[in-house]
Amino acid sequence: MSDDPVGLVRAAQAGDTIAMNSLLDHLVPYTSRICAPIALHSGADATQEALVAVFRALHTLREPQALYGWVRSIAVREAVRIARRDSRSTPAELTELPAPGDPQLAADIRDVLGRLSPEHRAILVLRDVEGLDEKAAADLLGVPEGTVKSRLHRARDSFRKAWTS
Amino acid sequence: MSGNWPNVDLDPVRRLRVLAAGIPGATVTERVLPAPFERVWALLSDLEGQFGRIQPDMHRVTITQVDGDRLQALARSRFGMRARLDGVLRPGWCWLQSRFLLIGMAASPEPGGGTRVAFTGGVRVPGRAALVPIGVGRAGRRAMNRLADRLH
Repeated sequence: MSDDPVGLVRAAQAGDTIAMNSLLDHLVPYTSRICAPIALHSGADATQEALVAVFRALHTLREPQALYGWVRSIAVREAVRIARRDSRSTPAELTELPAPGDPQLAADIRDVLGRLSPEHRAILVLRDVEGLDEKAAADLLGVPEGTVKSRLHRARDSFRKAWTS
Repeated sequence: MSGNWPNVDLDPVRRLRVLAAGIPGATVTERVLPAPFERVWALLSDLEGQFGRIQPDMHRVTITQVDGDRLQALARSRFGMRARLDGVLRPGWCWLQSRFLLIGMAASPEPGGGTRVAFTGGVRVPGRAALVPIGVGRAGRRAMNRLADRLH
């Protein structure tokens, strides 16, 4: 069997459950890379729920070439939903995001993520993990581009303030 | 990408829940059994031996080809029907299909102790990733009871 994800989607849509198994092997690392930083301690739940939604709706995916973009949007949506559902008392939440390449971001990403809301974590993941620009991130999250831009770029000083407090 | 971003893997039981969700009619039977993973999986993965005593409808399985974690097998049901199974066998994970059958088994160590086991499977709707929704849950519960008995 081909390991090409497009071929696997087509075979899975045609009813081959072994192809579904191989497709799952492909999609677990990709989905987890998006869900874990957004859902944090519920990362495994979010990854599972995102993939449940993916496999339930796989028959509706008309363009298998669009697989990863399609999975990405489901993964972000499910991760934010699960993170909100499971949100515990959040320590002094950052309202702004660190800039790309910020040394403090590189030093302790978990600490930074733990201070952000799920929606802010989603923007950070789309920018820094998925390499999306502001317009694409805004489209995917269903918010105006200006909102993403302001969340991303107003940020540095208040991030540093919260970080060093 | 900067820093060490959080990441997780999906354990086999979670993987089984995901695949079953994509297969209409596939019921998942789950239970935590009070035995270590190694002991549970030694029974479930013994396809040519214990497997036929645990899965109610399987009489005999003969593995015909192994290539890494992929395998092919011939199965004979207790009603005499034969099936050519094709699938994947890994620690904690077994996923087999023939034209008319689907068998999924998963096991993961439970954080509080014991082993979480999940089964799915049944008679396939020909040409589709779907199961005939008759007796699927009952077969899973029977297999789980047999497994629990053999672990005692």
